Amino acid sequence: MGCSSSLPANSTGGLGNINNENSATDSKNLKVKLVLLGDSGVGKSCIVLRFVRGQFDPTSKVTIGASFLSQTLALEDSTTVKFEIWDTAGQERYAALAPLYYRGAGAAIVVYDITSAESFNKAQYWVKELQRHGSQDMIMALVGNKADLHEKRTVSSQEAQEHADMNNMFFVETSAKTADNINQLFEEIAKRLPRPTPLS
Amino acid sequence: MEGGADAFGSSTAPLAWHDFLERMRQPSAAEFVKSIKGFIMTFSNREPDPERDSAAVQEFLENMEGAFRAHTPWAGSSEEELESAGEGLEKYVMTKLYNRVFASVPEDVKSDEELFEKISLLQQFIHPENLDIKPEYQNETSWLLAQKELQKINMYKAPRDKLACILNCCKVINNLLMNASHMSHDNPPGADEFLPVLIYVTIKANPPQLHSNLLYIQRYRCQSRLVSEAQYFFTNLLSAESFIWNIEAESLSMDERDFQKKMDLARERLLGLSVSSENQENQTNLDVGEHRSQALKASGNSDVNLHLKDHVQGPVQDMKRESDVSSKSVERVQSISDLEKKGATELVKDDDLSKIFQEYPFLFARAGDLTVADVDNLLNSYKQLVLKYVALSKGMGVAPETPLVQSKQTAPDLQISEEPENVKNVVNSCDSTEESSKTHEDIKNEIPDSEVRNISTQQVAVDPSGDQKTLKDESSDQPEHA
Repeated sequence: MGCSSSLPANSTGGLGNINNENSATDSKNLKVKLVLLGDSGVGKSCIVLRFVRGQFDPTSKVTIGASFLSQTLALEDSTTVKFEIWDTAGQERYAALAPLYYRGAGAAIVVYDITSAESFNKAQYWVKELQRHGSQDMIMALVGNKADLHEKRTVSSQEAQEHADMNNMFFVETSAKTADNINQLFEEIAKRLPRPTPLS
Repeated sequence: MEGGADAFGSSTAPLAWHDFLERMRQPSAAEFVKSIKGFIMTFSNREPDPERDSAAVQEFLENMEGAFRAHTPWAGSSEEELESAGEGLEKYVMTKLYNRVFASVPEDVKSDEELFEKISLLQQFIHPENLDIKPEYQNETSWLLAQKELQKINMYKAPRDKLACILNCCKVINNLLMNASHMSHDNPPGADEFLPVLIYVTIKANPPQLHSNLLYIQRYRCQSRLVSEAQYFFTNLLSAESFIWNIEAESLSMDERDFQKKMDLARERLLGLSVSSENQENQTNLDVGEHRSQALKASGNSDVNLHLKDHVQGPVQDMKRESDVSSKSVERVQSISDLEKKGATELVKDDDLSKIFQEYPFLFARAGDLTVADVDNLLNSYKQLVLKYVALSKGMGVAPETPLVQSKQTAPDLQISEEPENVKNVVNSCDSTEESSKTHEDIKNEIPDSEVRNISTQQVAVDPSGDQKTLKDESSDQPEHA
């Protein structure tokens, strides 16, 4: 069940000269706090690790642990987006703590496991919670992980897609194991982020 | 420079701090020195008001840092130098204001006491399973290292240094989790694994004035530096605190009655109320204590813990019943010294005398065995002991006798005797910091040499950036020059 198998080949590649030290947010270099929500065991941290390891970013630093990671993504329009990714504990008993983490987040990924209907229920709970208490302009993604285990699927993609549409989120199924759709997920979020209007 | 893991790198080294003091003594810094002193003075003649105080400090730090950019002795400095000047300023100002703003309002003091008491109870019966810590990640012995980092939090006055204790604790936990996941070929640990362990470690460490420390960091750590990774791990400790405040039976997956029973028993044990003149009951208590200390020794072995659980649960009923009886008989029982003599006689008869005292690690320690980290522990134990003793005396309806006063008299011995440097340093640094914050007089003067000396003693004795470095080296080969 490990997610740390071989490195993916389909890296969209960060540019070699991304200046990570410049934390100022301008119209070309965005910075966003992204929070991960979802039941424990759905692979939240695997998705992030796959994303972070799959990128070539000479400025990325080995950090304290995998629960917080940052990664800069270069887009085709020559903007860069630096993600600061906050993982949350998914066990039921910690659910009440989530607001401390998603406060001030510009983006959220709600993850479930396509082989677990229960985790999908939990995901719906998080979506509702974010709709109610999250910031209005937060970019939200619904992610069905473990797509490689499709023979054990219990949550249909159609059902999930409908739920996402209803809540103005975008939906994608990923596999942290095979790296399927991982980069697409983060690229899509990056594209949807509001661009600050350049000062003239 | 951004505030990530590297936010605690070079800018915080002792050298940078000395550099700050050095530059402040240059004639060109006279204006800065004047405004800093003026700012600190404004605090001396007004009542504490955390919100206003915090806003004032934040604004002052921001303005001063802006001013640094434009003026000698910092004009033309690199971003890194400016960053470390900002750190220096924050450390200087907050060390001066510490006694004035730390735990300065009664609500905070009260919350500290309540939280400390709640944790004191919880730590007696909580198990890793209660928090969803998977067996492969359970490692109580190694968690002691993380606990120690957290317990250092009151050894520092600067917000950054306190924050460093929290980050160090998180680093230790993360390293342990990483190792465990390598061993079990499990997924790399994320927040599902990290937060429960942090909560467990926090409960076991019961760091002094946790609530006030968190508020202090939140209020007085320069906002632009409490960001990114530091902010994430700080938020984790905030959420650990919040979780602990709200712990009830359900949050630990315990039966309501079972939870209450354990809380009651823990309270009784903490206050020493379960001690009675009944010989038989004394035995039971010692038994429990013994098993507990054994379990601690063999920690990490969940079998032993389960074993312990059974033992603790067993005598509860009996003790409840008997304590009712004994409370009635208390009035006519002997004085404390009578009881003490009786207990001592029992102790002497006991074959496993040394085992009974295993729970009290400092009983046979010599001053030379102590480390800096022990001071907190020792002080905690001392406080608990006094509390227990006074409560016990009160409960017996007699005035406390004097034996505990003697421990006060032994304290100077500790200072005078030839003991290893680390103990001396603690004493020194305590003296010096007290002095540096007490004398408002020196604010009027130039930042005096003695100031530098005082603070440098502190640096030598207890500089978290040193620890930080070691840990950093251990945890990763950070490509700092990348």
